[in-house]
Amino acid sequence: MSSTVEVTGLTKSYTMGGEPLLVLRGIDLAMRPGEVVCVMGPSGSGKSTLLNIVGGLDRPTSGAVFVDGVSLDSMDDEQLAVYRRERVGFVFQSFNLIPTMTAQDNVELPLVFAGIDKDTRRHRAAAALDKVGLSQRLDHKPTELSGGEQQRVAIARAIVNSPAIVLADEPTGNLDTATGHEILLLMREMNAEGRTLLITTHDRAVAESVAHRIVHLLDGSVTEIEQGGNL
Amino acid sequence: MRARDLIFIVFSNLRRMKLRLVLTALGVVIGTSAIVLMVSLGIGLQENVTQSLGELGAATHIQVMAGGEPGIGGPERLDDRAIGDISDLDHVQAVLPQVMVQAQDITYKRQSTFASVTGVPMDDLPTFGYALAEGRWPRDDDEIVLGASVPEMFAGGDPFSGGPAGPRLDLIGKRVAVTVMKMPDMEASGKEVMVAEGPESQMEAAETKRRLTVVGVLDKLDMQTDSTAFVTLKAALDLNGVRSSRPVYDTAVVKVDSPDAVAGVEKTLTSRGYLTFSAVSVRKSLQAVFMVIQGVLGALGGIAMIVAALGITNTMTMSIYERTREIGIMKAVGASNRQIKRVFLGEAAVIGVLGGLGGLALSVSGAALANLFVQSLVASQSMSGGAMPQNTTFFVIPASLGLFAIAFAAGVGLLSGLLPAVRASNLDPLIALRHE
Repeated sequence: MSSTVEVTGLTKSYTMGGEPLLVLRGIDLAMRPGEVVCVMGPSGSGKSTLLNIVGGLDRPTSGAVFVDGVSLDSMDDEQLAVYRRERVGFVFQSFNLIPTMTAQDNVELPLVFAGIDKDTRRHRAAAALDKVGLSQRLDHKPTELSGGEQQRVAIARAIVNSPAIVLADEPTGNLDTATGHEILLLMREMNAEGRTLLITTHDRAVAESVAHRIVHLLDGSVTEIEQGGNL
Repeated sequence: MRARDLIFIVFSNLRRMKLRLVLTALGVVIGTSAIVLMVSLGIGLQENVTQSLGELGAATHIQVMAGGEPGIGGPERLDDRAIGDISDLDHVQAVLPQVMVQAQDITYKRQSTFASVTGVPMDDLPTFGYALAEGRWPRDDDEIVLGASVPEMFAGGDPFSGGPAGPRLDLIGKRVAVTVMKMPDMEASGKEVMVAEGPESQMEAAETKRRLTVVGVLDKLDMQTDSTAFVTLKAALDLNGVRSSRPVYDTAVVKVDSPDAVAGVEKTLTSRGYLTFSAVSVRKSLQAVFMVIQGVLGALGGIAMIVAALGITNTMTMSIYERTREIGIMKAVGASNRQIKRVFLGEAAVIGVLGGLGGLALSVSGAALANLFVQSLVASQSMSGGAMPQNTTFFVIPASLGLFAIAFAAGVGLLSGLLPAVRASNLDPLIALRHE
């Protein structure tokens, strides 16, 4: 359940009002299987863009991402969808749950697109929700859940397909410190099962508590790589 | 993604926009029903009108009248020579000359009826499909045979109502009186009135009465025949007060050897200046009328369907805009472009199918109503002389048409959903996720 992620010479530029905007200026990063890497930096430093490219939601302008030695650049849109579905789990700052669906249905969603039958889906979604401590909340809609509970549903959704990589973009950004701590504990648990984690945050305490390595990003470049507190 | 899950997602999405779904499908309902009614009218025409015209026993019959317009050069008189000429035409098997008696009414004791009286050569009647139900054919000029409904009409029955037969009088062997109103010769009296005051007596109708013995009653044939009494040609001419040795007939029925020959013979007769009337020509003129109706309905249906299609496209575009973020989420958790496209195409198709089902229901009930209306219209027309059987259905919706309608509506749904669905599937997931 572990994967290596290797990023080489990654750049990304957008055109903003006619002006080219360089968001990533050549990132090199190699992650060992089962490693937790936190990307730290202020808003606009490019950390979310890096995460999205590694997750196959975005494509780089140049450079490459290799997952277990396979380049994402070689994949077409369909293959990238399969990659997101089977190898990656996403956790977002704003949870991104579908408001009209129950917790159970939200967690089942990746399995629906994977074509897994209903009974297996029910079973696996319930198990994932149980793992994040929400076995009593299966039939609640997102609006009936607290922020911490919603993020736990999102984590259950991220792991329901047993992905080797979990990408979390400011997972505690919308939560108070105590709730954020619970989420970080779940992150450590996911890592304990062998998953490779890439987490962005601007909170040093968050990075210190879960990361093996902390990558500092400023204006699209890596300024420093240090050891994290998770040893 | 499994088909069952796709269907489930499609229906749960549609359930979230019930009102919009109903309004959008309503457009399809209107378009589908207009198209179904149009096609069903065409089918109804082919199946039933043709068939009921055939029931007149007239598929091989042509009714001929003397060309009424002088100057065309055609024969203005339908006399024995003209009948002989017509008999000699190719494909013609028999000709039945007829004299319409200007009968006021037929009276038996104190009961009377407005049944018409026609003079025909009795020996030829069987050739033209007439048959006796009881009694025998008239042999004498003071004998009369009644149409199947006439005995009923004496008792006040209405052969056109299509209801159960009323009480019938048993008239075989009884004597009935035929009253004839002999109108003054219009042309002659007209001239005189113009020139000078004519004698009063010439302007008044002369009433003559003649007693005839009922010797037979015919089998049911068609509505016209059933309400007519038949006498010999000579009796009819006498009743009309014609003394000429070269009698002129009002009409003649020409029997040809096959329905296919009707058009050709009819063309020959028309070219000779006769007015003709046959099931074939009636069918042609009916078809022209119905073509217009079909064209109007078709145009209406087509326009309604186009508007409905635009409605579906609009609804889908709006609904996709509102669900942009949801699409982003689905893509992030691994939905492929193709899967997203299928979800939205499915929604559009279901709107189409629901509209198609509604349209089919509407057109089935609409067709039933229209059939009732047309039948009552035909019945009232028949009172004034036209002969058309009662239970004619003009709108026929076979199961295959129903299936076609639903498939067509589904196709329209799919087609109108295509553009929005492709747009949804090509959404950039990151932009979609940022959408509020």
